[in-house]
Amino acid sequence: MKSNTVRILFAVAVAAVAIVLFVVLRDDGESAMEKSEKDAGQARSPVTTIVVKHGKPVGGIAQLTYNEGERVRFKVDSDVSEEIHVHGYDIMKDVEPGGSVSFDFPATIEGVFEAELEGRGEQILELTVNP
Amino acid sequence: MSFFLPVAHALVARKDLPIPAWLFAWAASIVLIVSFFALSAAWRKPRFEDERWRPLGAGFSGVLLSPPMQALCGALGVFLLGFSIYAGLHGTEAPDRNFALTFLFVTVWLGFPLFSVVLGDVFRPFNPWRAVGRAIGGTFAAIAGQRSAHLSYPERLGRWPAAAGLGAFVWLEVVYGVNGGVAVGLEPHAAGLAALVYSLYTLAMMAVFGVEKWCQTGEVFSVYFGMFSELGCFGIKDGRLGRRLPLSASTHWATVPGSAAVVIASIGTTSFDGAQEGALKGAIIDTFEWLAETGLSLTSSLRLADTIFMLLTFAGVGLVYLIGVRGMAGVRGAPPLKKLRTGFAHTLIPIAFAYLVAHYFSLFVFQEQAQFTYLLSDPLGTATTDLFGTASGGIDFKLLSANAIWYVQVAALVIGHVVGLTLAHDRATAYWGDYRQAARSQYWMLAVMVAFTCFGLYLLSVANS
Repeated sequence: MKSNTVRILFAVAVAAVAIVLFVVLRDDGESAMEKSEKDAGQARSPVTTIVVKHGKPVGGIAQLTYNEGERVRFKVDSDVSEEIHVHGYDIMKDVEPGGSVSFDFPATIEGVFEAELEGRGEQILELTVNP
Repeated sequence: MSFFLPVAHALVARKDLPIPAWLFAWAASIVLIVSFFALSAAWRKPRFEDERWRPLGAGFSGVLLSPPMQALCGALGVFLLGFSIYAGLHGTEAPDRNFALTFLFVTVWLGFPLFSVVLGDVFRPFNPWRAVGRAIGGTFAAIAGQRSAHLSYPERLGRWPAAAGLGAFVWLEVVYGVNGGVAVGLEPHAAGLAALVYSLYTLAMMAVFGVEKWCQTGEVFSVYFGMFSELGCFGIKDGRLGRRLPLSASTHWATVPGSAAVVIASIGTTSFDGAQEGALKGAIIDTFEWLAETGLSLTSSLRLADTIFMLLTFAGVGLVYLIGVRGMAGVRGAPPLKKLRTGFAHTLIPIAFAYLVAHYFSLFVFQEQAQFTYLLSDPLGTATTDLFGTASGGIDFKLLSANAIWYVQVAALVIGHVVGLTLAHDRATAYWGDYRQAARSQYWMLAVMVAFTCFGLYLLSVANS
């Protein structure tokens, strides 16, 4: 009974040590990784153009991935009058038929977000912001 | 057009990032190391079979369990349910702007398990149907001068109605909200209507079988929240409030038939909701396209494809548990299979809770900001009401970093794993007199726990990708 308690405590202690190690080691590993990724991302991110035809994105939903702190830049060419809404960031811009509208904002919120043609509820972009 | 948009995601404009591979690897390693030590450190005597219930001071029971307090809590529950139905039926059809959806599917559905796990059964006093049922029963008794008679509940049915209801509730949440092959999420009107129908069904069942009986067996929310509350540290006995050993009450929870089905349905529904946007996405799309080609309408095809995979997820979760139980039955000195099947069901409750936290933690934190700002001040989403001056408030998505969310998700799964293992070991020592055989039987339960935990991690690692 007594020795069992000790063994359980030992197991818990090992688990705790493992968790601490994992947090400590993980910071090292990640910051190095992050750094190299950020260096690569420093070069101005190119502007992706999303073409909307008949109220749908040509070539399906565009995928854009950034690291936090970079600038999200994309342009929408549309043949319909719409309001474009970037969820989460809550940025809305109108576009006229045949017109185009540009987005350029800092990637400050981490997560996966969609941008859609608000009136049609049509998703045109999936925006991923990694930490 | 997003393909899958279950209600949770119709509400929040942000989805979680998949947990990175290195975190997956670390977490899985920790789970395995912990499990290894749990095996070698198996205790020899059961510790959780007895609740060690001790009454709190008479003052607590006197105030918290007094009739006026019960009436007040019940009235609040009835008001909130009634208001949710009203908001659902008459408010805006924009899911994120209507009080009903966030309140029912986030605040209540996710909030009660959270508080129950720590405190005990906190839903019971606020249960609107129980309050109405008791009020009607009391009135009847006062007028007729006798207690209302009820049919005796078929005991073999046990908690199966609640397990089925749990599946139906989540089906409504993640499968039903489809329009022409596109998931649009459940609409507030449909949610309000469903709440109304469920209320009538529940009150009818209470009239037939009795209020308390139906709450113990068939009322989905009582049974579901009640399951988590078995882990909590406060309980009521003989009309008195008392403290008990945390986790201990759960050891006797599964003696009612169908309890295993409830906890399996709980894990299954959360798994499916997580998997449909990640692990199962491709398979669901293929099935959907195949069904659509056979001539079914797009709406039916998508619902059917989702339903098939939801049922398959249930079956998969149930199968893993049954294999574990089957394996244990082969260890010398094992009790009958039937006893094992119910005897270890409660060890999955912590896993079910861990899944809930891992999948919905961020949703809960973000959506509760909406609940207490614009949804509180403008519950119908009219954009003209501002009851408490918070209608212009919003959700601060920077409140939680992706890293914070990942750590909470992984911590929940690892802790759930450890607690589940603890309960399983404890039960094994109670069933096998010889602790060595008990430890041997636990190779099987250990495999079950590791499977669920690693599966949970896997779902998180492919979420939304």
